[in-house]
Amino acid sequence: MVGHRTQIKIVGEILDTTMQEIDEQEGATVTHIIKNANISHGRLSRILSNLVSQGLLEQVNSKRSCRYKISTSGREFLIAYKTFRDFSDDFGLNI
Amino acid sequence: MEFFLEISLNLVGLLVGIIIGIISYIGFKNTGSPTLFRLSIAFCAIGIGFGILATGFIIDDFIFETGNINAGISMLGIASQVIGYWFIAFSHTIKTFFPKSRYLRSIGALPLFLVSFGYVETILRAVSFILLVYGAIETLISYVQGRKKTTLFVAIGLGLLGFGEFIGWYSYVFPETILYVGSIIMKIGGLISVGIPVSKIPLRKISFDENL
Repeated sequence: MVGHRTQIKIVGEILDTTMQEIDEQEGATVTHIIKNANISHGRLSRILSNLVSQGLLEQVNSKRSCRYKISTSGREFLIAYKTFRDFSDDFGLNI
Repeated sequence: MEFFLEISLNLVGLLVGIIIGIISYIGFKNTGSPTLFRLSIAFCAIGIGFGILATGFIIDDFIFETGNINAGISMLGIASQVIGYWFIAFSHTIKTFFPKSRYLRSIGALPLFLVSFGYVETILRAVSFILLVYGAIETLISYVQGRKKTTLFVAIGLGLLGFGEFIGWYSYVFPETILYVGSIIMKIGGLISVGIPVSKIPLRKISFDENL
C-alpha cells in the first residue's frame, strides 16, 4: 500500500534526486526530478522555486535546459532529514 | 525498597523522556516536521511527568517520611504522562486515519478528557493504559510493514509500559506481593526499550538552517 507523502518527504526526495546527480556536475533536469520524485510538473515548479529561494538548491541554466544542483546547505538539510526520517520510522511514524 | 524502585523508575523515565524529547525537538527545528514536534511534546511531557513523580517520592522519603507520595503531586505527574501518551497515540491516529488532514496535522486537538472529578488518578492511569496499548499496536503494525528492528523495540517498550501499568493495578488488589516490584521492573525495561532509537542518532552537531 502506498501511503500519503508529506511535504517534507517530497522535498527530501527531490533533494535526494539532485544529490544523486552530483557526479555529473550539471545538476538534475526537471524531467529527471519529476520521474524520480514522482510529482507533477505544476507542483514541482512551486517546490523548486521555494527550495531555490531558501538556498537548498542552485539553479543552473545551461544551453539545453534548466537544471538544479543541491547546495551545501541543501546537503546538510538532506543529512538531517534522513537522520530524523529514520528516527520517526523507529517510532512507527512518518516524518 | 519500594520507594527506591519508584525513585529509580521515575529517574530513568525522566532521563529517557527528556533525551528523546530534546532529540525530537532538534529534528523539528532542522526539518520543520509536525510529527517530530508532536514527538517532542509527547516525550517532554512524559519525562516531566516522571520527574514530578520522582520529586514527590524524594520529598516524602527525605522530608515528610509518611511512606506515601502526596496525592496532588502524584496526580500531576500522571496527568503529564497521560498528555505525552496521548500525543504519541494522536500521531498514530493521524498517520492511520487522517493522512491528508491539514487541520489535524498542523494544530491537533486538545486532550479534552482531562476533566477533574472523583478518582482522577485511577482514571488517568486507565487512560494511560489504553493509550499505551494503542500506541504499541500501531507501532507493531508499522514494524510489520517496515521490518525495522528499532521499531520493534519501541513497540515492545510501549507494550511493557502498558503491561507494567496493568500489573500495577493488580498490586492494589494483592499488596505486599511481587506484582508491584514486577510492574516497576517492567516499566523500567519498557522505558529503556523505547529509548533504543536514540542510540542511532549521531552525536555530532547537526546544523540548523534559520530559513527553514
